[in-house]
Amino acid sequence: MKKNGFGGRSLIGLCFLFLYLPIFLLIIFSFNAGDSSAVWRGFSLKWYGELFQNRLVLDSLATTLLVSLLATAISTVAGTFAAIGIYSLSKKLRDPVLVVNDIPMMNADIVTGVSLLLLFVAFFNGWGSIAKWLNSWQSLIEFPTRLTLGMGTLLIAHVSFNIPYVILNVAPRLRQMDRNLMEAAQDLGCTWFQAFYKVMIPEIKPGIVSGALIAFTMSVDDFVISYFTAGSATQTLSMTIYGMTKKRVTPVVNAVSTLMFLAVLIVLVINNIRSNKQAQLAAKRASLQPVRENPRVERFREWMGTPRGKLARRVTATVLAVAFVATTVFLTAFTTSQPVVNVCSWGEYIDEDLIDEFEEQTGIRVNYQTTDSNETLYSLLKSGGADYDVVVPSDYMISQLIEEGMLEELDYSKIPNFEKIGERFRNLPYDPENRYTVPYTWGTVGMIYNSSMVDEELTSWSALYDDRYAGQVLLIGNSRDAFGMALKYLGYSLNTTDPAEITEAYELIADAASRGVFQGKVMDEIFQTMEGGNAAIAFYYAGDYLTMLENNEDLKFVVPEEGSNWFVDAMCVLKDAPHYDEAMEWINFIASTESNLRNMDYIWYASPNEEALEMYPEWYEEQYGEELDMDIYNIMAAPQEVLDRCEMYVCLPKSVRTLYNDLWIKLGI
Amino acid sequence: MAGSRGPLTDFKILFSGAALPLRCEKRGRIMSKELIRLKDVSMSFDGETVLDNLNIYFNDKEFLTLLGPSGCGKTTTLRIIGGFQRPTSGDVFFDGARINDVPPHLRQVNTVFQKYALFPHLNVYDNVAFGLRIPKWAGGGTDISAKREKVKLSKGEIDHRVREMLEIVSLKGFEHRSVTSLSGGQQQRVAIARALVNRPKVLLLDEPLGALDMRLRKDMQQELKRIQQQMEITFIYVTHDQEEALAMSDTVVVMNEGKIQQIGTPEDIYNEPKNAFVADFIGESNIVDGIMREDRVVEIFSRRFACLDSGFAKDEPVDVVIRPEDVDIVSEAEGQLRGVVTAVTFKGVHYDTIVDFYGFKWLIQTTDFCPVGSHIGIKIDPDGIHVMRKSKYSGMFGDYSSYSEEYDEINEEEAGKEDEE
Repeated sequence: MKKNGFGGRSLIGLCFLFLYLPIFLLIIFSFNAGDSSAVWRGFSLKWYGELFQNRLVLDSLATTLLVSLLATAISTVAGTFAAIGIYSLSKKLRDPVLVVNDIPMMNADIVTGVSLLLLFVAFFNGWGSIAKWLNSWQSLIEFPTRLTLGMGTLLIAHVSFNIPYVILNVAPRLRQMDRNLMEAAQDLGCTWFQAFYKVMIPEIKPGIVSGALIAFTMSVDDFVISYFTAGSATQTLSMTIYGMTKKRVTPVVNAVSTLMFLAVLIVLVINNIRSNKQAQLAAKRASLQPVRENPRVERFREWMGTPRGKLARRVTATVLAVAFVATTVFLTAFTTSQPVVNVCSWGEYIDEDLIDEFEEQTGIRVNYQTTDSNETLYSLLKSGGADYDVVVPSDYMISQLIEEGMLEELDYSKIPNFEKIGERFRNLPYDPENRYTVPYTWGTVGMIYNSSMVDEELTSWSALYDDRYAGQVLLIGNSRDAFGMALKYLGYSLNTTDPAEITEAYELIADAASRGVFQGKVMDEIFQTMEGGNAAIAFYYAGDYLTMLENNEDLKFVVPEEGSNWFVDAMCVLKDAPHYDEAMEWINFIASTESNLRNMDYIWYASPNEEALEMYPEWYEEQYGEELDMDIYNIMAAPQEVLDRCEMYVCLPKSVRTLYNDLWIKLGI
Repeated sequence: MAGSRGPLTDFKILFSGAALPLRCEKRGRIMSKELIRLKDVSMSFDGETVLDNLNIYFNDKEFLTLLGPSGCGKTTTLRIIGGFQRPTSGDVFFDGARINDVPPHLRQVNTVFQKYALFPHLNVYDNVAFGLRIPKWAGGGTDISAKREKVKLSKGEIDHRVREMLEIVSLKGFEHRSVTSLSGGQQQRVAIARALVNRPKVLLLDEPLGALDMRLRKDMQQELKRIQQQMEITFIYVTHDQEEALAMSDTVVVMNEGKIQQIGTPEDIYNEPKNAFVADFIGESNIVDGIMREDRVVEIFSRRFACLDSGFAKDEPVDVVIRPEDVDIVSEAEGQLRGVVTAVTFKGVHYDTIVDFYGFKWLIQTTDFCPVGSHIGIKIDPDGIHVMRKSKYSGMFGDYSSYSEEYDEINEEEAGKEDEE
């Protein structure tokens, strides 16, 4: 048969291009000097540098390594013995058991994750009474009455999904093994256990090693199952990366992904080389030819047999064992030292040096986690899996949490810095008596447009629905903001509960959509799209606009004359928070002028600390030796007259929320 | 225990159910101390009986072969002695002590496994030294309750014994070879050395030559016999190959369906088979129905033949065994029986000639060539006729009506599947 060389080959080429192009792009952009994922600004290693100073990444890397190492060790031992057990079953039983073993591997991760979560939560619910009962009649061990998801559950989950892979790798070696070998060893005077480690282990070692390698990569790689079982206070590397991308794909993500890709590649290559070697060896064995090894290897083998070699072998084994134990102990200490405070905030929403400083000052370890939206945070809290102390929701979510009794009142005597929070940021509608919150940041929503694509100076929301910009407008991806701005344009309140007004707003958007004004619905993709000049108009948060401006100077921001939304994100403490006092210290620390200045500088969101707000231009000059552009300052910290045009969201009644939801689905852009 | 028995009982063969009569053995079993005894041993897997009330003993320094077709229970018997399986009921005695509960590693027996079971990760030397490097309870013995010191052999002692053993099995110079690089025969000898180096009192061999080709098998048979005599220990040998059994053994135990059919010297077994099964299994046999008209006279095909057997009731129906090589072909006129040649196969030393006598086909091995279709007569000397009582195997064997040239090979293939359970 004549091969169709060119066509076939180019097809293969295309396939591989399709497979690997994304990864090459990722690797290339991890060396981008700029912080955009769309614009190349030259070669730089700065993101790798930043990666190794990013404590969130390092923390989760430690967690990942610890869990993966322990899970690998435990599941390798358990899986190996399980495989041996399966092989001692009769053939009639063995085959069904092996099929049962395959099912968890084929099963969707999400099902495994959710079911494990269910199991843990169910167990924790029952545990409280068991622990109380245990504590009531014995005082030797004090059992904790409240258990939460965390390192322990994560480890159990990893062990459970790793075991089938180990069995899968060990089983074929057992099948190949002459069943008489174990009997032969026992016949020669070994107990079962001696026979096991003198004969069976060397025989099935290749299977055990590749099982362990695969278990390790599976553990490092896992996201879905970890996401469900790690709880709120523990984050693996893949969860951290996920959290980082929610805000925007920074080159740090590219850098860490590149490193992960390389690590997995190395493990795979090692595994392949090993199995190739074994195949060669097996072929040689089968041909009954004397196995001729590399003379150097042979000499090494011989040396291994000598007393000195044996000593070396033992020393190596001991060193490895000690290294393993030390790593485990170190990682454990690193991830569980006390006391702690568990904080949940948004991605890229803090100057991380502040965390280090707080830890140095107080000796309290900060477990800093992130989620991507108020709604996600809400469902996490509702599921009962989270054990955060401090959360930083937005205004309307805070009122909902207060309404549902999910927040603890703060002890303001322990937060002296609360004094510096401006009057206008106190007693806001979401917390009228200000018993639950200390504001973290505030800002406005405004229109962002690309001046190179829009000739006029925009001042009205009308541009969003204007045929002139058909196909160039980005609609925000959440119903509250999308309808809110339409309501403002129509001259209604953001918080209207009148269905007629809301429907009118819906029709405004639907009509524009039918005319093809909107390019699409976006959340954090907005960064790439706007920076790359792929859309002309959008609306988003002021702080994020300033980040975009760094990459595209043509972008402009305006809070339209019809008014807009202004928002406050505030720190709250959850009911029954396990570390209440530490939480107070953290809140006080963040509320300080110094912290507010540095956060403002880092995230471009305005500070509620009046002192910091006033000082910022001066502080900026001191830091950078140049004057702060007051336009930028005014966008970040909108002047009072702009705020007067703006309205804050309040929590809508349920019926209105349903209406929002229905209309949003009906819109279906 | 052994001392309490009279010399007579030493010759007594213990049969399952004691249903079969005793025969006087021409040459008795080796007179020496009894070492192992299985008493009323039964074994069943999943309700299927594999061993049925087995009674047997093994003497010191004896080469005893358990012979039988696939599934007859011979390997199971061996595994019970080795300690790998525990009988469902009955007792195992070693040197008078009950050892049912003694695990394999405490028994003073060693095994050569069917497929050698060499340790692939060790070289020849380390394979052989394996058993010596495991610290053993001092003084051997099987008493697990006694508290004794564990003894570790010195390096020099181990080295000395390994090298000595490699010399005995003619593998000197192979010490550092990988066992996987050896030929089948060499692997076999490593397996034997690995077992014998521990100086067991009994060596169990489970079809050790099964995987070797014919020539090598013949050489190894002699080799094994030589080693057994040199080491002066008991060999319990399992095989389905009757030739092998006859060539090597002091005593042959023929088994079928979990029961012992006959115990005796190879000559006994061959010349005086106890029933149709044994007669058919050991060598080739023509087995025909006969009637014992009086002592030393048996009637076959309504003709009277002189024989050497006596002690039967008058006119008792019996099975008569006539070995193919004990039949002389003569002219039709001279023959005691007359028949027609239906098939001839050249076998080298002789011709396998199938002769039809009144519709019953016999196998006759003769050096004279008789073409197909020729009418011949046969003569049988009295010592060529062996008379057996009727048994449940009567009428099942010894008819060559379906004989074909491939007969032997088919047989061998089936036997090859033996004991893979």
